[in-house]
Amino acid sequence: MAYALHFPRSFEEAFRLLDPQGQPPALPLAGGTDLLPAVEAGRWHPGALVSLSRLPLATFERAGDEVLIGGTLPLRRLEREPAIGELLPGFAEALREVGSVPLRHRATLGGNVVRASPASDLLPPLLALEASLDLRSQHGRRRVALVDFLRGSWETTLQRGELVERIRVPVPRPGSYRWQRVRPANDISQVGVATALVTSDARSPWRIAAGGMESHPQRLSGAEAALPQEDPSPGEIEEAVHRAREGTRLKDDRRAGEEYRRHLLGVLLRRSITSTVERARSMKGRRT
Amino acid sequence: MTGEPPLTLRVNGEERTVPEVAADTRLLDLLRWRLGLKGTKEGCRTGGCGACTVLVNGESVLSCLTLAREMERQEVTTVEGLTGTPEAEAVQQAFAEAGAVQCGYCTPGFVLALVSLRREHGASPPDLPTLANELGGNLCRCTGYYAIVRALADLLGVPVTSELPKSTFTVEPGGSP
Ligand code: FES
Ligand code: FES
Repeated sequence: MAYALHFPRSFEEAFRLLDPQGQPPALPLAGGTDLLPAVEAGRWHPGALVSLSRLPLATFERAGDEVLIGGTLPLRRLEREPAIGELLPGFAEALREVGSVPLRHRATLGGNVVRASPASDLLPPLLALEASLDLRSQHGRRRVALVDFLRGSWETTLQRGELVERIRVPVPRPGSYRWQRVRPANDISQVGVATALVTSDARSPWRIAAGGMESHPQRLSGAEAALPQEDPSPGEIEEAVHRAREGTRLKDDRRAGEEYRRHLLGVLLRRSITSTVERARSMKGRRT
Repeated sequence: MTGEPPLTLRVNGEERTVPEVAADTRLLDLLRWRLGLKGTKEGCRTGGCGACTVLVNGESVLSCLTLAREMERQEVTTVEGLTGTPEAEAVQQAFAEAGAVQCGYCTPGFVLALVSLRREHGASPPDLPTLANELGGNLCRCTGYYAIVRALADLLGVPVTSELPKSTFTVEPGGSP
């Protein structure tokens, strides 16, 4: 299990240490809350861990109609940013559901995104918010939409030697996140549903994404298309629920059976839509 | 393992240098086995129980999920380091009055989680269900939590006028309906 541990102070040095050809591979270490138990359990055998803690990546910035979240910003700091609560209420409530407070003092958004867990509580809201990623490697930078970055359970298009420099999220966007678990705190969600409103898109303002699916968290485009207006009628909401339940392959495992998850998906979607509509009303005047 | 570098950090207000700290040494093991600070407990070692909670630069952190060498020149506080401070006295009093300790195994972790929340929230603490949720990372096998949450509420001056809401301890789908 022995690995080397490095603390690069520049990106140049970090990329050299993360050499994509290195064997066994060097892995970037952010908060470590997920990586360290996985290494200890023998799921990964890195030759080296390259700590990102000395790089200027724990940043937060509002830039016009986006917030730019540094890859290693701890989740607890993000959750306590007033701008997140005001501009992205659905994302704020998902952040409060990840692990526990001491875990969130170290766990990072970049780590959560790169991990691509099918049960992530943060990927559904980030998908519904149409987030994108700024990735950086020794070859330069590229920007990729989160929806294209996620490829499967635990699978992304991240290349070896590449780091998440920033997560970009458009603001402001009314939204909400609803979930179900066995225990309310410090547990993993069986299903999580995020909805968000893009009021500038008059013809299809709704964005919906869910976790607890057979694969990674995904957008539910069928359900979105059933909601042609910001303030949907009860009939339109029921149609969206119907399409979500019919058009989605859900996970069937020890955490919850498929049929139960399908039930949850409908209940949580209905609740999330209702809550987002209410939030949109109270955010009026502050959004684009 | 030999040939590993020494580690210098501040523990409970004192600068300490520990020779030969291996790359994979956890902060938990450094504290317990290299520094003899056994107040920090090991429960699950995978981030699920909070028994190993310590403060790093004043914030609660799980020492079982933190590499010791990440702590170079950082300030680590364990339950031993709180002893005798006004903060510790306030927590002790709140715990005693609420009857929040039985076997005590979870107590150091809870105390540090409480201290961290108290510092973070300062004079504007959130409501009781939110506070109870923010303690959700610490498990206790004895007390049933009521007394511990009550101690936290007392400590932060959050009124407990009646019973804690049932929803604090039972499963409701996330957020308000
Ligand atoms: S021992 Fe660290 S969380 Fe359980
Ligand atoms: S008092 Fe025994 S585990 Fe909490």
